[in-house]
Amino acid sequence: MVRGNLVGRLLLPGAGSLAVFGLLVGGGLLYASGGGTARDTLVTQMLVNAVLVIGLQIFIGNTGILSFGHMGFAAVAGYTFALLAIAPRFKERSVPDAPFGLADVQLGIAPAMVIAVAVTLALGLIVGLGLIRSGAKSGAIAATMITLALLFVVYEVARNYPDLTNGRVGLTFGPGNSLSDRTWIYVILFVAILSARLFRETETGRLAQAAREDDLAARAMGVNPTYPQLAALLLSVVVIAVGASLRTHVLGSMTPEFFFFGYTLLTLVMLIVGGRNGVTGAVLGVIVITAGNEFTRYLAGGDVSVPGLNWLLQEGLSDIFLGGAMLLFMILRPEGLLGDWEIDFPLRRLLRRLPLPGGAKRASPVPAAARPDPSRLSASEVTVLFGGFRALDGSSIEARADEIVGLIGPNGAGKTTLLNVVTGIVIPAEGRFSLGERVLTGEQPHVIARAGLARTFQNLRLFPALSVRENVSVAALVAARHRSDRVLPDPDELLVAAGLWEQRDRRARELDYGAARALELARAAAAAPAFLLLDEPTSGLGEAESAAMIDHVRATAAAIGAGVLVIDHDLHFITTICDRIYVLDQGRVIAEGTPAEVQADPAVQVAYLGASG
Amino acid sequence: MTEFVQQFVDGLGRGGIYALLALGLALIFGVMHLVNFAHGETITVPAYVAFGISLAVGGNWWLIVPAVIVAAVLVSVATEFVAFRWVRGSSDFTMLLTSFGVHFVVVAVFVMAVSPKAKNFEKPGWIFNTVRVGGVSFEIVDLVTIGVTLATLVLTVSILRKTLFGIAIRAAAEDFDAARLMGVRSNRVIRSAFALAGFLAGVAAVFWLMRTGEAEPGAGLVPLLKGVIAAIIGGLGSLTGAVLGGFALGLAEVYLRAWLPGNLAGLTEGAVFLLIALLFIVRPQGFVTVRRAERV
Amino acid sequence: MLGVERLTTRYGSITAIREVSLRVGAGEVVGLIGPNGAGKTTLLATVAGLLDPAAGRVELDGREVTGASPDRMLRRGVALVPERRRLFADLTVQENLLVAGITATGGERRERLGEVVELFPVLGQKWGAQAGYLSGGEAQQLAIARALMSNPRLILMDEPTLGLAPVLVDVVFELIGRLREQGRTLLVVEQNARRLLRAADRAYVLRTGSIVAEGAGDELLARPGLFEAYVGVGAGGEVPGA
Repeated sequence: MVRGNLVGRLLLPGAGSLAVFGLLVGGGLLYASGGGTARDTLVTQMLVNAVLVIGLQIFIGNTGILSFGHMGFAAVAGYTFALLAIAPRFKERSVPDAPFGLADVQLGIAPAMVIAVAVTLALGLIVGLGLIRSGAKSGAIAATMITLALLFVVYEVARNYPDLTNGRVGLTFGPGNSLSDRTWIYVILFVAILSARLFRETETGRLAQAAREDDLAARAMGVNPTYPQLAALLLSVVVIAVGASLRTHVLGSMTPEFFFFGYTLLTLVMLIVGGRNGVTGAVLGVIVITAGNEFTRYLAGGDVSVPGLNWLLQEGLSDIFLGGAMLLFMILRPEGLLGDWEIDFPLRRLLRRLPLPGGAKRASPVPAAARPDPSRLSASEVTVLFGGFRALDGSSIEARADEIVGLIGPNGAGKTTLLNVVTGIVIPAEGRFSLGERVLTGEQPHVIARAGLARTFQNLRLFPALSVRENVSVAALVAARHRSDRVLPDPDELLVAAGLWEQRDRRARELDYGAARALELARAAAAAPAFLLLDEPTSGLGEAESAAMIDHVRATAAAIGAGVLVIDHDLHFITTICDRIYVLDQGRVIAEGTPAEVQADPAVQVAYLGASG
Repeated sequence: MTEFVQQFVDGLGRGGIYALLALGLALIFGVMHLVNFAHGETITVPAYVAFGISLAVGGNWWLIVPAVIVAAVLVSVATEFVAFRWVRGSSDFTMLLTSFGVHFVVVAVFVMAVSPKAKNFEKPGWIFNTVRVGGVSFEIVDLVTIGVTLATLVLTVSILRKTLFGIAIRAAAEDFDAARLMGVRSNRVIRSAFALAGFLAGVAAVFWLMRTGEAEPGAGLVPLLKGVIAAIIGGLGSLTGAVLGGFALGLAEVYLRAWLPGNLAGLTEGAVFLLIALLFIVRPQGFVTVRRAERV
Repeated sequence: MLGVERLTTRYGSITAIREVSLRVGAGEVVGLIGPNGAGKTTLLATVAGLLDPAAGRVELDGREVTGASPDRMLRRGVALVPERRRLFADLTVQENLLVAGITATGGERRERLGEVVELFPVLGQKWGAQAGYLSGGEAQQLAIARALMSNPRLILMDEPTLGLAPVLVDVVFELIGRLREQGRTLLVVEQNARRLLRAADRAYVLRTGSIVAEGAGDELLARPGLFEAYVGVGAGGEVPGA
């Protein structure tokens, strides 16, 4: 396990990073060897752009939050770096009145860069806390607007605070500054690629990706996306700040336009064309767009003449290329050329074929039974109002951790609402619920999940782009951190028991429906809950699969020592699997008892089929 | 007091422009869940139309005004036809970036076809005139903006309230599939929303261009951002909220400018954006809540 | 009037209905019952054009209409009263009805508004109220009234009594009777199976995406073991009379 982790998390991605780095630099050098300083400069710029694009990838790729503000961070870093690194004799002309005696400061490149990173990181922390406060999640428009506002704040300050920035004219390094030697760039680029690639495989990265795939499902598994997202932001800010310092240095000057809309477009297009969710994709995008951009510049440069098309071949063509690339990719291939594919994936697959130490996984008898949790789940007098509609009307239920309790009732009876209440998704108007001694009413979903309630969803909410194994390991990660007082189930064994071991490396979205249902159950079990809450586990399954689900739910619950609260419409399933059943109708509990008692209850027949009289 | 009143009128004048843009954005958001960052092109393209007309026949605003409005409607409908139709139902991320793509392409087209630099055209002659009412002097352009904006908003609201076409748009904005079940044609209702949004933006463009008197490739960006911000302040999707958000933003800008000390006046825009960032942090869902339930 | 042949509809990898075939004759009231998740709503939504089928065909008066959009189905005389009503909550009662009459000409629309108010006097009293503030019974009446605005020949009703108090359930069934008297054809999905079977000429029982039983309403009602078949007690395949 440890060794597998080391290989999977460190060595392979490390090798992959090296390969990606090699391709980028090799391609660049090959092009530059064609001769000319222009080519040389272009390659340098491409490498520096790659650093910034990777910085973007770390945040956007892992969190799914679209940021327009990262170039705002870049501008802050660029100005900080320039103010510190430019020789005083040049600053005397541009910013003689700079505050804090900045006009007289001169630092070397490395210290200036470190301070630029620190300053930007501080800003990143403030912005990050703000993003969290706004409830940022994948695709959230408020988060995008906050970052966009940041970009404009920085831009406006840069233009209108000439004492510090010399306004629109900007700051200039003296002559003789250009980097003749790319060693620094290589080192920074490689470290950037490596950290982005490794971050993808870290626990923090995984949790961020889970929230990107399905925020609600992640929270219901006990993931609090806040910290992973903040971590992704801060790491991306560091990379961006380093890249921005580098770019400022390479360009030899800094103006408000350097890191504004145009550059935001360039870097975003690079990120998106290759595939924003992967590091390899991001780097490929840099290469493709740099090449395309250069080609359109060449076309527009006046050296080419195509009869009838010369009106097209002029300045602005490369912007059309960029905007057009963004449009075309969004319409035709929004996931980019490579999606989230990494260059080391084939290696990993190859390695999987070799027998791993510890032997292949067998469908062993399910893991040793954990001690049943003595606590009980109880909800009392829960009322939920949707507008004027009473979805739940003073319902009370109770379940012990050593039993399987069913919740049935006609459509609209309030079953799922009750499950949503006890998982913190819906806040009840009245009533309370508790697990053991702990009252959980009003707690957030991830707090409730960590307290020991894990659920599945009526309409399957897996993390579609994550692999089968990653889906389960996300829950296991949370369990390892927050439920260590219990015997934790081995996620791999859960996969074996669910019959998913062979498919462990497939993406969840590629599974057929029955397998997806099984995976959702395995994921919930991996959270080591005191109770499994299952919302229609047989919905959409055929007769045979439903029948198999009975044993599967039982075995899983027994293996992890959890109680079960299950909603289902298949009465055969419910009556076979449950020790006790509650019947809900119009938001109220109308009957409770063993399956036989409930079935015999005339009130239940009326609720299901209508009055017989 | 006099100053306060003047600023109030100034704020309403600006706010009216934002309100018109925000209302259009909210309409589009309602029918297809798109935050349309290409909505600014309904100002950029008309700006060049105005420039073209001034170049050809001089700054005749009797000609420019209808041309600007027609151009805005056409641009809005065209963006739907060329780009947004193909990403209908995609993720928010994809739609957002699509609209940015449209924006960048339009900018590039004008950079290529005209010039990256701003082109000026003649502002209407009465633009700087003021009128005194009870000791307070108002700029005529503000008063006209407020008047026409209010008239346009009243007209739009009555279209949305009274005509079958408007009711269908509102129905579709609330529940698109249910509207289709009632016989509302999806293509038609989305196109109508874009057309109406384009018309509103056209009116906004008229007053924006009267003030700036210039056409540049990125002309629509700043008003667009203000419109988006106003629409989000108003709770994105709420039509009333969008209008209120627009006026609130206009007033906030004017009073902020007046309140900032002189040496920092250049930072007004920066301060406005800072405030906006804070606003989204504190209240990401805006100030008018829209009923929207997620089924799990 | 309506013919559905081997219709299959999928959501991603889920097959919600599998090769379902059924017929509804002109003037008939046909019931569709079955446990939740059986695919009843999917079937109606596919017929109404809201979902595209993966296979099979839908015919209306012998003409194929498979995959037609909802507005085209409506123009051909098929209206769906959707599950949970899907009223436009911010629109007034009148506006809800007007939108629903969008396929009619102005004159027809006015005429139908009059008819609808006659049929549902309570809606006339709430004319200017926002639909979101109606009570459950009023809301359901509005939902059905909306469907009538296009003067459909075939009405598909999805759970019309969902969440209604027993008294209001009576109102809905009374209404179904009246619509039948008007010569309209109805295909009704309903939880209240006994009640529906008594009201329907014929009915189909749907279970896990397939039709497992069909027959005249009374006959199905009289079959022993219907309750068990319906809710799935006893393993599959043992459905009596299937």
